[in-house]
Amino acid sequence: MFHLSQMDQIFLKSLADVVRTSRTTSQYDKLTFTTQTIADIKNEIQSRQESVRYQALLKLFFLAMEGNNIRWAEFQIINLMGCADFQLKLGAQLAAHLVIDSQSQGLIMVTNVFQKEFKNGHVECSATLSCLGTIANKDLSDSLLTHVLKLTTNTKPLIRKKAIAVLSKIFTINPLNIPGNLEMVIQQLQKESNISVLACGISLFCSVMKVAPKLYPLFLSIVYDQISKQKSNWLLIKLVRISNKLISLEPRFQGKLIEHYTRLLNQTNSKSLQYELVYSIMKYFKNHSQLYESAGDILKQFLNHQDPNLRCLGLECLTHISSSAGLMEFQEQILESFKKSDYFSKLQILQLFKDFTNQQNFQTVIEFFLKYSDLESNHKIIESLIFIIMKDKFINVDDPEKLLLVYIPVIAQKIDTIDNAIRFKELLFELLTRVPGLKVYSDQLCNQILQTYAIQSDTLQGPTLNIVQRHTQLKYSLNHREIIFKSLIMIVGESVKLLKLDALTNIIKFLEQLNILNCYESSLSDIDSLLFKIYIQIIKTDPSNDIIPQIEQLIKNIYNKLHNISIVKISFFYESFILNKTKEQLQQLYNLYAEDLPPINLEAQKLIKPPEGLDITQSFQIDIEEIEKIKNSNNDQLEQKPIIQQLEQADLVSKEQEDQNTQILKQEENEEELKPLNTKTDPIPKKVFTINRDEELPPGVNQNDINQSKEEE
Amino acid sequence: MINFILMVNKQGQTRLAQYFQFLSVKERMTLEGELIRKCLSRSETQCSFLEHRGYKIIYRRYASLYFIIGMDLEEENEMAYLEFIHNLVETLDKYFENVCELDIMFNIEKAHYILEEMVMNGQVVETNKTQILAPIHVLDKAKDE
Repeated sequence: MFHLSQMDQIFLKSLADVVRTSRTTSQYDKLTFTTQTIADIKNEIQSRQESVRYQALLKLFFLAMEGNNIRWAEFQIINLMGCADFQLKLGAQLAAHLVIDSQSQGLIMVTNVFQKEFKNGHVECSATLSCLGTIANKDLSDSLLTHVLKLTTNTKPLIRKKAIAVLSKIFTINPLNIPGNLEMVIQQLQKESNISVLACGISLFCSVMKVAPKLYPLFLSIVYDQISKQKSNWLLIKLVRISNKLISLEPRFQGKLIEHYTRLLNQTNSKSLQYELVYSIMKYFKNHSQLYESAGDILKQFLNHQDPNLRCLGLECLTHISSSAGLMEFQEQILESFKKSDYFSKLQILQLFKDFTNQQNFQTVIEFFLKYSDLESNHKIIESLIFIIMKDKFINVDDPEKLLLVYIPVIAQKIDTIDNAIRFKELLFELLTRVPGLKVYSDQLCNQILQTYAIQSDTLQGPTLNIVQRHTQLKYSLNHREIIFKSLIMIVGESVKLLKLDALTNIIKFLEQLNILNCYESSLSDIDSLLFKIYIQIIKTDPSNDIIPQIEQLIKNIYNKLHNISIVKISFFYESFILNKTKEQLQQLYNLYAEDLPPINLEAQKLIKPPEGLDITQSFQIDIEEIEKIKNSNNDQLEQKPIIQQLEQADLVSKEQEDQNTQILKQEENEEELKPLNTKTDPIPKKVFTINRDEELPPGVNQNDINQSKEEE
Repeated sequence: MINFILMVNKQGQTRLAQYFQFLSVKERMTLEGELIRKCLSRSETQCSFLEHRGYKIIYRRYASLYFIIGMDLEEENEMAYLEFIHNLVETLDKYFENVCELDIMFNIEKAHYILEEMVMNGQVVETNKTQILAPIHVLDKAKDE
């Protein structure tokens, strides 16, 4: 410790000086200024003059707020806690939380300091209790417990209040201190009339219930007593909060509270108390219809309120209604609230509907969100809608046909992110896989969705997904439109055999309109595959159709564009097949495989031992005489095979007819509401589609195709 | 339980910080910087509640100063704490008479003392302005004498 000279005192900087200098100092000089100030403080805090030390302490405070580390001052601050000057002591106690934590070694010195302070006046004692509440660790709390317990009986409510607040920390740090001591505190609280002390007592009970919930019977009577007579909103909020915990442990307590909750709900104007009551009633009082209805009315007011905070709290409250039937009651208000809400509240509402949409409100929910999506929340809305549709294997969907032809095209038009495009693709594949018969509508779906692709700009924009195709090693980028385009092309390709000639012709005309060679370069192999399937189908049904030359031209253009060797090889075959279309080509194909195949490569067999009895030098061409023998022996079986097949087909047809006859008539369609969403009128369904929710796929679907396509992506 | 109470201005400078759970200086600066950026990016039509780093954040803006409370994620009454912030501002205003940012900067120990009278161990212990300011008036009288 040293004494500052008069000269030094003149130049001593106060807190105000430091603040002014800090505000005027540039960013570059700040470090120099801070270093200099810390050096000054280190000197001043050891001064004998209390005024100097006090100013040093205040400057330390300021530096801590500026983000400087002042933990080096731990010892000095603890030292100041024990000095005679109250102002200095108070400053040190207020600064204690900045330098002391539960691991600090200086806490050992604090015990004696605090024991002395507890004997002083009420202002000093209360400041010491506040400091203890902030810095207490296990050792300090154990050594000061008896002193704090004594202070709970002090004549001053200020001291009693703070002593009880400190006790809640002591009991939390070391629950072994609870037995015996808690009962004493409860007895004192039962005689207590001061609201602040009671509020601290209720906080103490909340803390004890976190570490020792089985002690709840001790609190029941006092909590009930206070709920019935208290008028302070803060205290009532704490009482309702602790009542929630007590109800979950002791359900019979619920019945006692109905009368008081009803009274409070009707009388109070405080929004925070109303919210607390509504929250509690929504969660625990569902069986009490009158109270539940009153709370529901207030909740509806919250949902429609102008204040965004109350709307947010109303939605928060709804998440605790665990049934979708409960949510249906508030559906109208929630949807109205959605129109006025900000982005975060919209996310809350979407999450609600993700959890609680069912078959009854599925249509309303989908139509509403498609109508009111905006730029900011569009991607989240689409993500949520796809989730709702696909939830639990389409559990909410009762009309798959309407979903496919009415809602899905609108969803596709609104997709603007790659993630959503991939989700949309999965939705389409799942839906068409699980609902047999929907593939018939694949051409209509394709036309509806891809119609906008022809109208919009030819250049594909937006973020892209980079992919390397496994079998060709081609690298390309896809944006969200192209992902949807590829998936639709694949679906139509799978459904070619089910489509009529007109539908196939329309698809070809549509593909001609698109600038596919420039815009959909990454999808050319998929388009080529589709064109080939359509070509084969048209040749089978109508070989003289006018569209055939157009298909040939399209395929030629595509192969001219593609430079990959493996695709070019295949294209030679396709090209020759298309050009000649004669039996001679087929005979050539036959001859290609009629030749002797070369024997197994000896080099390859070095590592792999051939099976016993196999002569690898000889050709494995099958002996024709042997084939004739097998053929003759199985003649009877071969003759009967077509008859068996005919019988099986007849069975299938009769079964289908029976299914159709037993279906129920469809519900009415709401065309007007969907007009802005969809110009196409809903088709009158001729048959009802059932969704297969089994794990295995229905027969006729090749899982490998789906897996392969997923792998490619 | 309240984990921290902050008063931060629009430039990101902390004028008052009370932490009820110990955080290192680096953690505090990071947290305060992130919070003020989040609060500044929100418009007036948005609610005053958000979540950040495992805390439930309630904030309110008074002129250039943001009052921010960080609480546990477990169920708390956000509306009550929003009203508590207003109570705190009214108490500071009653003591400093037309309180502004400079009053808090130049009387930082008094601002801390008022806050300590209102909040202890992360729990609100007093909301009556007269009761809160009584000890500090006693101190001021003793100082004048």
